Amino acid sequence: MLTLTKDRALALVLLLIIAVMWVESGNIRPPTSWQPYGSALFPRILLVVTGLLSLLILVRSLIAGPGERNAPRRSFGEWLAHNRTVLVLFALFGLYAALLPILGYIVATLAFLVTSLGLLLGIDSRRKWIINLAVSCTLVPLVFVIFRFGLNVWLP
Amino acid sequence: MADFFLQALGQVSSPSVLALIIIGVLFGIIGGSIPGFTVTMAILVVFPFTFAMDPVSGVSLMVGVFVGGYSGGIVSGVMLGIPGTPSSITTVYDGYPMAQKGEPGRALGIGVAASFIGTLISVAVLVFFGPLIASFSMNFRPWEITALIVFALTLVAGLSNGALLKGLLAAALGLLITTVGYDRNSNLRFDFGIPALGSGFEILPVMIGIFAFSQLMGNLEKLRDDQGKAKGVDTNVTIPYGRIAKDMAGQKLNTLRSALIGSLVGALPGTGGTVANFISYDQAKKFSRQPETFGTGTPSGIVASEASNSAVAGGAFVPTLALGIPGDLPMAIMMGVLILHGITPGPLMFEQNPILVGAIYASLLIGAVIMVLCQLLLVRWFAKISLIPQEVLVPVVLMLCAIGSYALNNNLFDIWVLFVFGVIGYLLWKAEVPLTPLILGVVLGNNLERQLFRALELDDSWMTFLTRPLSALFLALAVASVIFSLYQDRKIQRNRQQAQVNDA
Repeated sequence: MLTLTKDRALALVLLLIIAVMWVESGNIRPPTSWQPYGSALFPRILLVVTGLLSLLILVRSLIAGPGERNAPRRSFGEWLAHNRTVLVLFALFGLYAALLPILGYIVATLAFLVTSLGLLLGIDSRRKWIINLAVSCTLVPLVFVIFRFGLNVWLP
Repeated sequence: MADFFLQALGQVSSPSVLALIIIGVLFGIIGGSIPGFTVTMAILVVFPFTFAMDPVSGVSLMVGVFVGGYSGGIVSGVMLGIPGTPSSITTVYDGYPMAQKGEPGRALGIGVAASFIGTLISVAVLVFFGPLIASFSMNFRPWEITALIVFALTLVAGLSNGALLKGLLAAALGLLITTVGYDRNSNLRFDFGIPALGSGFEILPVMIGIFAFSQLMGNLEKLRDDQGKAKGVDTNVTIPYGRIAKDMAGQKLNTLRSALIGSLVGALPGTGGTVANFISYDQAKKFSRQPETFGTGTPSGIVASEASNSAVAGGAFVPTLALGIPGDLPMAIMMGVLILHGITPGPLMFEQNPILVGAIYASLLIGAVIMVLCQLLLVRWFAKISLIPQEVLVPVVLMLCAIGSYALNNNLFDIWVLFVFGVIGYLLWKAEVPLTPLILGVVLGNNLERQLFRALELDDSWMTFLTRPLSALFLALAVASVIFSLYQDRKIQRNRQQAQVNDA
């Protein structure tokens, strides 16, 4: 049975995206009488090139050498567990982006820094908490002051 | 030339710009000295702070980071045995053994002196060749510029370590990203009914997202896999100035050769400090009367490595300023800085913004002097700072990336762009897709489309690209670079298979 290797997953996802974009490129306004080529031409050239390269990667992965076939495989659950920290950090960043307009820069950034530092440093000792809070409580106002008063940028 | 340079020097020597260069150099050294942080990341973090500045101040700050960053890698390379940036890998070969023999100050001093001289020589190369290439490229018409961009992209894609297909794919994806939003004829493309996509993606959040997230998350993964390998280090360093002067006096030829290699390699697309580092080290070893001493803590190894990687700074500016084509990632970001300040890098820049070009020369020179002073006076502190753990660094840099992206247009949508491209960059990195061609594609996409259609509007035959000699030459070079990379890929593949058979 065929397994989903990195290359196969990459090629299949890209082919799907290219198909969607090709359909969407049909909505681009056609060329007018004074334009030799329309606005859809350049992206369509790129879509064809990207599609061909993705197909080549897919074909190459199907006729792969022993190295590719014998590469260690992980189940999806194992992969999630292995990359837990990185995935949680991504989720925290997404949450930060969502909360920034609601809570404002100071509260949202402080919350993001404290939780992400807690995730990476750990929360099992007083020393780690001191580092966490010292970094968060110094940087958040410092960045605010630099942007607001030094660069005249209003943070949310 | 002398006039505009003196005018630029006057502007760069103002206290506020000097202060910015000092800050830039300090931050660059710190960025370069923290393993896994890299020069590129330092430039990306500082970039948003230039938004509100005038072009000379913004560019001077960035040049400071650039100069400091390329010399910063030596600190962790010598003290920890871990290169702070990929461009200081060979510094470790001799810097670390010398430090282990009880001479860390000597190793650092030699490296800093070589960095300084390397930067100066590369500025001379830039001052001489920049205007020369720019005046030659003034003859380029849209056909030549289109072909040159295609050549630059294929070259960078082909140099992606045995991953030609993925390199080309990355470049095409980068170009595709720039087609979102209104085009030159005010036609909307790929907005998928989302109004915010109408104006397309800003280059900055896309670049930061793709590069920074993959780099930072990669650092975390490395940390997870290397747990328990951290080691203590003695940061008490004294610089023996007399000894270093004597060492450097015996390295004149090596320094000059390495700096010229660095400048030349820096000027080639897709290469940068890492390649310069290895070529220069290899050449120094071949020319040496005692090649067996390389790798044991010889000054020649440190000089070859540091003079070449610092010389990349000046060399890399040549194609960026003269042709408007950045050769590597830090230069792609530098080009973003210039574009953001309303300046289009390219041959016309030398005519339209000579003071800014002069400011870049002057900042490189002043930055090099500040770099030496900072490194020699504060090396103990940089050594301490290089020990900042990734666990602290990653969230802080992510936060700065988010605020930097927001500050570009005071637009929260840009933080979402950063996040989405962060996820995309991370997944592509996991799939072993090289990210440099992708970012170069993003930077060059709009210009490529503009030049391609300008050419077709002037003459609607595609054959003109092949009938104009220079355009045909660039396209032939693009094809040749792909064929050469295919050959290299095959060779790497064969070696891997051979190694597997031998292991079995």
